Amino acid sequence: MGNKQTVFTDEQLEAYQDCTFFTRKEIMRLFYRYQDLAPQLVPLDYTSYPNVKVPYELIGSMPELKDNPFRQRIAQVFSEDGDGHMTLDNFLDMFSVMSEMAPRDLKAYYAFKIYDFNNDDYICAWDLEQTVTRLTRGELSAEEVSLVCEKVLDEADGDHDGRLSLEDFQNMILRAPDFLSTFHIRI
Amino acid sequence: MSSEDPGNDIIIEVENVPSGVQSHPLSNEIFQERVLVRSGLSRMTSISDIDVIDSPISSRRNYKQHRQLSQFSTSLNESISQTLHIPECMGLGTPCTSLESIQGQKLIASLIPLSPRDRNKAIRNQPRTMEEKRKLRKIVDTEKSKQSHHIIHFNCCTHCLNSISLAYRRSRNSLSEVLNSISLWQKTLKVIGGKFGTSVLSYFNFLKWLLKFNIFSFIVTFSFLIIPQFTVAEKNTLQFTGLEFLTGGGYFRDTVMYYGFYTNSTIRHDNSWASYNMQLAYIFTIGACLVTCFFSLLYSMAKYFRNNFINPHLYSRGIAKLIFCWDFTVTNEKAVKLKQKNLSTEIRENLSEIRQENIKLTLNQRLTRLSAHAVAWVVSTGVAIACCVAVYYLAEDNSEFLKRHRDPGAVLLLPFVVSCINLVVPRLYSMFGLVERYELPRHEVYTLLIRNIFLKISIIGILCYYWLNIVALAGEECWETLIGQEIYRLLLMDFVFSLADSFLGEFLRRIIGMKLITSLGVQEFDIARNVLELIYAQTLAWIGIFFCPLLPFIQMIALFIMFYVKNISLMMNFQPPSKAWRASQMMTFFIFLLFFPSFTGVLCTLAITIWRLKPSANCGAFRGLPFFIHSIYSWIETLSNKPSYLWVVWIYRNLIGSVHFFFILTLIVLIITYLYWQITEGRKIMIRLLHEQIINEGKDKMFLIEKLLKLQDVEKRANPSLLTLERREVEQQGSLHLGEHDATHGE
Repeated sequence: MGNKQTVFTDEQLEAYQDCTFFTRKEIMRLFYRYQDLAPQLVPLDYTSYPNVKVPYELIGSMPELKDNPFRQRIAQVFSEDGDGHMTLDNFLDMFSVMSEMAPRDLKAYYAFKIYDFNNDDYICAWDLEQTVTRLTRGELSAEEVSLVCEKVLDEADGDHDGRLSLEDFQNMILRAPDFLSTFHIRI
Repeated sequence: MSSEDPGNDIIIEVENVPSGVQSHPLSNEIFQERVLVRSGLSRMTSISDIDVIDSPISSRRNYKQHRQLSQFSTSLNESISQTLHIPECMGLGTPCTSLESIQGQKLIASLIPLSPRDRNKAIRNQPRTMEEKRKLRKIVDTEKSKQSHHIIHFNCCTHCLNSISLAYRRSRNSLSEVLNSISLWQKTLKVIGGKFGTSVLSYFNFLKWLLKFNIFSFIVTFSFLIIPQFTVAEKNTLQFTGLEFLTGGGYFRDTVMYYGFYTNSTIRHDNSWASYNMQLAYIFTIGACLVTCFFSLLYSMAKYFRNNFINPHLYSRGIAKLIFCWDFTVTNEKAVKLKQKNLSTEIRENLSEIRQENIKLTLNQRLTRLSAHAVAWVVSTGVAIACCVAVYYLAEDNSEFLKRHRDPGAVLLLPFVVSCINLVVPRLYSMFGLVERYELPRHEVYTLLIRNIFLKISIIGILCYYWLNIVALAGEECWETLIGQEIYRLLLMDFVFSLADSFLGEFLRRIIGMKLITSLGVQEFDIARNVLELIYAQTLAWIGIFFCPLLPFIQMIALFIMFYVKNISLMMNFQPPSKAWRASQMMTFFIFLLFFPSFTGVLCTLAITIWRLKPSANCGAFRGLPFFIHSIYSWIETLSNKPSYLWVVWIYRNLIGSVHFFFILTLIVLIITYLYWQITEGRKIMIRLLHEQIINEGKDKMFLIEKLLKLQDVEKRANPSLLTLERREVEQQGSLHLGEHDATHGE
């Protein structure tokens, strides 16, 4: 395309293109969205690889994320230090995985990490309780929530160890073909 | 690896025993020798499972096991390292943390021999951060260039190939960028998805996809049929009144809109220009449109089947799916809150269903249900057949009526009746749901869909029968144009009815639901009914493309307007869906419906037309021929006289025209299908066996944990001195085997 952009070097842009599911134009568009979140913080010149992190509060206020019950977990999973503050790389990574071109296995891996609230590589009953609470926003009683968690573990736990490993989760996702289209954020 | 602090420590240092599908028995002695008990927070390198047949724990999970496990986990929390199962890094498992490790080296080595496109795809699919991916890419690139430096002979060739592939990749990227930028309605779809979720969005995506078919057909027919015909157009002597837009007749009869206008001559403007054989162009253009649609449908169907088809007996009334398939596309605050409320309701329903699922129905109840179903099916089939008969006799009477009275508006009676049937009868079918009770809600959805599609296809079928058997043989002057006009009127009336339904019907329903009978509430978007209407309209458009080449253009405009009308109506009159709707499975089914009764029916109709019917003598591109297909026959005849085109004749005579070739082809296809089917069956068995193995390994884990906890208890009760004594004993026995292998079981 004809327009010269001065934000990235050609090499950087090509690296981004090869490492995400986005085209050049989409990467530029995402960069400007990122920059709009914190115009004072984010420089318009990334050729020198500046180390800039946009704080979680701004990320969580994006229209695509602000009403999502899992926005904090999403930001934590994709951020560098697990605290929700994201660099441009993390930002692009996040939307690349959540785009419609990412394959099911990749999405399942990240969905597993999002639902694993205590980061112990297993979705245990406590993680499930957290998930269900966020999904139902106080509509279900505590008893119902624990019943739901038990039923989920019943259904999905393949090796019967009382918690879901990544394999259990992926196996369950195979039986839910809607997962690909629902685990998707449009930007 | 062992920490030096005294006290009660549990170490598990276990030898890795490779496992196959069979479990090996393990003697108790080895177990006692190899297991020391030492609790603590020491970091362990690897724990491998031993295959133990004997498992005293029942497979039924109970809460005690959970507690045991969580106790065990908390006491050994940091000890169980992430490299528990060290997977191959090409697949996804716990990712290798560094590229310098063995696994990282393996990954790099596996990426080097791939083509650039596959390499990029593999890098993108890695669950790593952007920086790691960039590093990986750089390392692989440098390794690859190092390797290619050694190959001096092919330097020139590989350099050429590399630059060609790079240029190809760049052009593909820019092409996809261009396509994305002209992609229609991105923002609107985002808003719809944000407010109503993925299920309603699937209807609009389906509409957009059908629009692409029509745009393509229109471009092809426009370039190859309409433009050449314009160059030799005769003057139109008829008068133009406004009524033509509705009836399709009158002034439009002698335009490029209908078959009858097309010349059968070979168009020649200057003697130096090539000639353009209109007959061949007509048949080949329509053929090309349909063939492209066929392959595109087949490809989409295969893609959806591959992604979304699940074995029906694996399907569970999952509550897990409700929990983990939250719709991330919903971004509107009110919609999210509503969705949360609906999800809670659905979870409650699901819980109560699970509690009730063991209730068996008595014989009486089952009989009542079966008889209700039988009656409903008989009634629905009867209604469909009655409608078809009514349409048939109306069509016959209508033509009689039209011959006597020359009322231009009377031709609209048949389309009007057909559209009324399409409006009323599906709603009648939905009311059967009040009487019939289904075990699973998706049975209800599928039954409704099958009844509706049966109705719509039978109506189209009866109309085609009428057109091809009565109208075509009745000796009318230009029967193809007549059929084209009929199809145009049907499509138009259907479009008008949809508009009226959206503007008036849904609006009134909202007013009633909100103001008058508030218990009804605001309606939800009925995806199935709307998609079936789209399929019906598209079937008509495909049939009509032969008789009315401008029909894709009309259908294109209709779909375009429908998108906006449905969008506005959706925003104003509907609420987001309350139940989870399996969008992907439904889409697979709809695309299959578009292929199987709809498109194959179109192909049958057109095949009958081309091979069995006599073109009219005075109009159209095939006038005077005994059958439409004779244009191809005469073309082959003329080609066989030209020596440079004999290969075409050969292909025609020996491949397309020969029975033996098709017989052998069918045989080969059947053999391949059979082999693939057997492979699938074998894989299903393998899946079942692996699943059982996973369960067994889980049992082994629980057995080990129980044993360890028992030993832990024993140690706690015994003296601390006894523990040190034991430790010294074991140390004297020699070093124990520290398990530092890779896990060899698993893939």
